[in-house]
Amino acid sequence: MIDVQQVCKKFDSKQALDGFSLHVGAGELFGLVGPNGAGKTTLMKLLSTLLPMDSGTVHVGGLDVTTEGREVKRLIGYLPDQPGVYQDMSVREFLEFFADAFQLKGARHRAAVDHALEWSGLGERSGSSVEQLSFGMKQRLVLAKTLLHDPKVLLLDEPATGLDPMARLDLRKQLKELQAKGVTILISSHILSDLEDICTQIALIGGGRNAAGADGHSVIQLHAPQAPVRIYEVKLLGDSAPAVQIVNSTAGMRVIESTSSRLVVEISGADEQVAALLRALVLAGVNVLGFDQRAVGLEKRYRLAFQEKRP
Amino acid sequence: MNPMIRKELRQRMRERRGWLLPSLYLLVLGAVVAFTYFVTTAESGRGQTSIQGSTVGVVLFLTLAYSQLALLLLLVPIFSAGSITIEKEQKTLAGLLTSLLTAPQIWWGKFVSSFLFVLLLLITSLPVLSMAFAFGGIGPWEIFSATLTTVIILGCMSAVGLYSSSAFQRSVHATAVSYATVVVISVVTAIIFFVRLQMYQSAHEPAAFPGWYGLPLNIRAPMYVNPFFFLTASFASPKQLYPTWLACAGVFTLIGALALAFTLRNLRRRGDV
Repeated sequence: MIDVQQVCKKFDSKQALDGFSLHVGAGELFGLVGPNGAGKTTLMKLLSTLLPMDSGTVHVGGLDVTTEGREVKRLIGYLPDQPGVYQDMSVREFLEFFADAFQLKGARHRAAVDHALEWSGLGERSGSSVEQLSFGMKQRLVLAKTLLHDPKVLLLDEPATGLDPMARLDLRKQLKELQAKGVTILISSHILSDLEDICTQIALIGGGRNAAGADGHSVIQLHAPQAPVRIYEVKLLGDSAPAVQIVNSTAGMRVIESTSSRLVVEISGADEQVAALLRALVLAGVNVLGFDQRAVGLEKRYRLAFQEKRP
Repeated sequence: MNPMIRKELRQRMRERRGWLLPSLYLLVLGAVVAFTYFVTTAESGRGQTSIQGSTVGVVLFLTLAYSQLALLLLLVPIFSAGSITIEKEQKTLAGLLTSLLTAPQIWWGKFVSSFLFVLLLLITSLPVLSMAFAFGGIGPWEIFSATLTTVIILGCMSAVGLYSSSAFQRSVHATAVSYATVVVISVVTAIIFFVRLQMYQSAHEPAAFPGWYGLPLNIRAPMYVNPFFFLTASFASPKQLYPTWLACAGVFTLIGALALAFTLRNLRRRGDV
């Protein structure tokens, strides 16, 4: 749904994007992380047709953002890193203006505004001035405005910045609901725990390029719907050789690290696979002291990717 | 209707300046009328000269026409120069540019709303301007040509204000540049003209002024962008509008068109929203 190939963008002497590439499949909730100045916002602006690129290609839904900008705008909803509102309008007027701006007419116009009010939970405040809303409410209003024309792709640049924990939880829930409806979402955020919770994949960006994680990949798989891969640490009493043999002889499993008293096993498959491995080890007489999933969190991976590179 | 126009007009009429500025504007114009009338008739009252009603009418009309233009030139940057920068300052420009509104639609909405407000001021002053009728010496043609000329100048300056607004990030900078433009075209051009005229006359026969068209074009040229000269040219009879008035109209239209083109370019190309 989103295809970025070798894109470059320079501002005066600063190379904001330097050959960055990205592919986001339809229906994915895709994260984008990197340090400040990595090029995330520039990429979002390129995707949303706000900025021209120097070289490379960017397609959204198969449309070229450079030559088919107007059609791309019909397809996308863009939430900038600092979304603004018209303080002197009422909530309904604000939504009606953007429904007009997206050329919604008649019954569709009314339905879109009513749905946006309901979706954002601001129905009872539709007559209130936008100025009177809290920061979280304004953020919900702007997100609702972004969804007025029923976009197939959402580009969200730091949508959770400044939100309180409850508002962040609500946002995560709303984004999951949108993904379930088939909306493709590209979200950039510094709040890694949020991304880890909702994203299927996360791309690393640093210095305008694809940054490689500790495993050498620039895209981290998080909640891939097919064949989840999990890492388990098995602590043993005694020789680990029989356990290694059992693991390697079982389909969908492999030993990725082994010491005399410890194995690290990669398991592809459902929970039954994990239970079957533990059962097989115990039945074979292996003394298992511990059997735990080893979570390699996003924060850890982020540190591994970027910490050593900081000045 | 262009949604930008509806939005802009709604927002402008909710601002305090929506009623404050027209009130102040009419008060100032009223004061100018009263002052001019009393100064003009005072001389007659002292018996020094005998002033006819038509003379009072002409003096009132000319004073009002120039005062009105000066006042409106001072007010145009307030309405136009902040139009696009306010969208940048409140971070709403990205929302407009990623909607299906085109750059010309955004420009047109901003232009119409700021220009209509200036026109509102111009229209509210028409009854005051028409007071000159009561004294005679002024006909509908003078009122029409002066108003049309003022409208062309204000349209051009609104477009220039919008260009400043698209080029800068903050309203204060855009407004300052717009005022600088007003000063350059109104004052600096006149100074340049008079300095060069002096130099020309001292180099040639100083006895007689060769007439406007007797001057070389490079000396006359600065005045074609001077709004007060343009207004002065509008007081000619219909048959004498060519070439001076038409040349001024062409220059102001060209400046407005260039400002429009550069504003659209800025709106289309700038990602610093």
